[in-house]
Amino acid sequence: MKNSKRIFALGTAALMTATLFAGCGNNGDDNQPPSSGGEGTGTDYKIAVVPKMTNIGWFQRMEEGVKAYNAENGTNYLYGGSTEGADQASYVEGLLADEWDAICVVPFDSNSLAPILEKAKDKGILVITHEAASMDPKYFDYDLEAFSNADYGINFAKQLVDLTGGEGTYIQFVGDLNSVSHNEWCDAADKYFAENSKMVKLDRYETGDQTTASYNKTKELLQAHPEITAIQGSASTDVAGAAQAVAEMGLAGKVAIVGTSMASICGDYIKDGTVASFSVWDPAEAGKAMIELAIAVLNAEGGVLDVASTSLKATGYETLTVNEDAPTVLYGDARVDVTSVNMADYNF
Amino acid sequence: MTTKSQKLKMALTSTPMILIYVMVIFCVVAAIRQPSFLSPATVVNLARASIFTMCFAICEMVVIISGGIDVSFPAVGCVAMYVPMYLNYNGIGPDNVFFFFGIAMLIGLFFGVINGILVSCLKLPPLIATLATSSIASGGLIMLLGTREFTSLPDSLEALYATNLLTYTSPDTGFTYPLTILVLVPVLLCVVVAIVMRYTMLGRGLYAIGGDKNAARIAGFNVRLLQFFAYIFCGVVAGATAMIYTTLMHSSTTTALMGEEMIIIAACVVGGCRLTGGHGNVGGTVLGVLLITLVQNNLNMLGIPTCWQTFAVGLILLLGSVLTSVQAKRQARLGKI
Repeated sequence: MKNSKRIFALGTAALMTATLFAGCGNNGDDNQPPSSGGEGTGTDYKIAVVPKMTNIGWFQRMEEGVKAYNAENGTNYLYGGSTEGADQASYVEGLLADEWDAICVVPFDSNSLAPILEKAKDKGILVITHEAASMDPKYFDYDLEAFSNADYGINFAKQLVDLTGGEGTYIQFVGDLNSVSHNEWCDAADKYFAENSKMVKLDRYETGDQTTASYNKTKELLQAHPEITAIQGSASTDVAGAAQAVAEMGLAGKVAIVGTSMASICGDYIKDGTVASFSVWDPAEAGKAMIELAIAVLNAEGGVLDVASTSLKATGYETLTVNEDAPTVLYGDARVDVTSVNMADYNF
Repeated sequence: MTTKSQKLKMALTSTPMILIYVMVIFCVVAAIRQPSFLSPATVVNLARASIFTMCFAICEMVVIISGGIDVSFPAVGCVAMYVPMYLNYNGIGPDNVFFFFGIAMLIGLFFGVINGILVSCLKLPPLIATLATSSIASGGLIMLLGTREFTSLPDSLEALYATNLLTYTSPDTGFTYPLTILVLVPVLLCVVVAIVMRYTMLGRGLYAIGGDKNAARIAGFNVRLLQFFAYIFCGVVAGATAMIYTTLMHSSTTTALMGEEMIIIAACVVGGCRLTGGHGNVGGTVLGVLLITLVQNNLNMLGIPTCWQTFAVGLILLLGSVLTSVQAKRQARLGKI
C-alpha cells in the first residue's frame, strides 16, 4: 500500500518534470532562429538584431524600429531572440550556424553571452552591442550607448534646479547601491547641484526596483524632512512610487520629481503633473542605430571606423562620441525628455 | 506548581512582551533622534505600509502552524493581480471591484488546491511542492500572457483607492496622510483567524496536525482535509492581498511580489511561529509584522545610513529568531508545551 503510493507520487513527480521540460522544449523551438531567414534582399549584408528578451514592451518597441528600418530601406534584417532572456546565449549560439556579417545584441547576462560573442568574432562576424559598456571590450567590436551616463545625470540635476529655483534639499533613489549606471547618473547630478545651486543632498536611497519601496521611503523622508523639494529617480519604478506618495501627501507641484521611467509606468503622473518629466531613450532608434553602425563598420576600410565622420541615420545617433578609456565604446545623444506634450510619441 | 510571581515573570518575558519592549525602545530612540517621528503620521504610515505584509503573514502563519510552509504565494499573488488587469485591458469582464477580487481569489483558490494535492495527497515536502507551484505559476503566466506593466487602474478600483478611512493633516507642515479603507482587511482577517485558531475545532485541528500528525489522526482529526484547508486559505487570501496591492500601488506586473516570501516567513518566526509546526498565534505574528515594518520603514528616521540598513534589518531578524528559540527551550524546561 505504502509502496504503491510512493510509486504514484514518483510517477506524478516525473510527469510534472516531463511537462516542465516539454514546456521548455516548445519554447525553445519557437525561439530557434530561422535557418534561412534574414537573407539580405536590398543589401549585400546579413545582419541580426538580438534583444535581451522579446516579451516586454521595451524590446517590442525595438522590434518596431527594426521593422520600420527594413521597410524604409528595403532590407530584411533579422530581429529575434529569446522570449525571457535566460536562454539568450543559446539563441545567439544557434545563429552562429549561419553565415552572418554582423550580429547586434543587447546582452541579458554578459557572463554567459561573452564566450558566444568571442566565438562569433573568431568566425569573423562583426559584433555590435548596446547597453553593455560594463562588459570587457574584447567581446565586442563596438558598443553603442544611447548617451554618456554623466550627461544623462547632469540633465536631471539641471531640470530639478530649474523646477525648484535651486533651493531646498534633494534626495536620490537608485535601484541598487551597486548599480553602476544608476550611481553614475547620481554622481554626475551631485556634482552639478554642488556647482550650480544651493541645494543640499540628504542622501541616496536604495529601492530594489520596487514601487512600494520608493513610495514608503518618500513618505518617511518627507515626514522627517519637510524641506525636501526635489526627488531624482533612477530605476523606472522610482518616480512612480515617489509620485504616488507626493500626490497622497498633497504635495503635487511642490516637490519636483524627475528620473528615468517609461510612459507605461508613470504616464498617469505625467498627465496630472506630479512628475514634471521623465527621461528615457527610444529602443526603436537604438535598434536602427545598431544596424546603421554595423553597416558603417562593414563598409569601413579594415573594419576600423572613423567615428568623427560617422553619422548614423537614427534620431539621437547623428553624431557619436568616443569613450576616452575604451575607444570602441561609442555614445549617442539619444536621451529623450518626455513631458505631457510629447508623451504620445513615446508610448512604450 | 507555579506561584503567582513566577506566572507574572513568565508573562513579562514572553515573546510578545519582548517584541513590544523592542518596539518601544526603537520608538524612543527614533523619537529622540528625529522629533517628527512622534506624530500620528507615523502610525498612519505604519498601518498603510504593513497591509500587504500583514495579510501575507497571517496566511503563511496558518500554513506554518499546520506543519507546512508555502513559498508560492508571491508567484500566485502575481498571477492573481495580473490576470484581472489583463482581462480588463483587453475589454473582457465588467469594471467591478467584486469581479476583480473574485477572479483574484479564484486564482488563489486554484493554486491552493494544487498545493493541497501535492502536499496532502502526494505527500511531497511542502517546501519543494510550493516551490514547484511557484515556478509553474510565474513561468506559466509569462508564457501565456506575456509581461506588461499595468499602471492605470479601472475606474472601480480607482474609486476604491480613493476611499479613505481617515486623513491626518500635519499641523506643522500641512502634509496630508490618508489611511485607506483597505486597512480594515488585515484587521478583520486577524480577528477572524484569531477566533478560528483559538476557539474552533478547525483551528485546534491545525495546531494538532502541526504538532504531531499521527497523534492528531488517532485523536480523530482529518489530517488531509486540514492540510488542504491551510493551503487553500493561504492561496485565496494571497489572491485577495495581491489585488489590494494592485489597487493601492497602481501597479500590476508579473514580478511585483516576487522575493517577498522570506521576509514574510521571517515575520512569522519573529512573532513566535515555529517552522516545525504546531506553534504560533495571531497576536505574535501581528507583532512580528509590525516590528519588521517599523524597522524597515523608519531606519531613515533614525538616521542610519542606507548602506547599513539591510544589515540592521538582518540583525533584528536574527535577534527575533534567537528569541523564539530561547523561549522554546525555556518552555520545554518548564515542562509546559
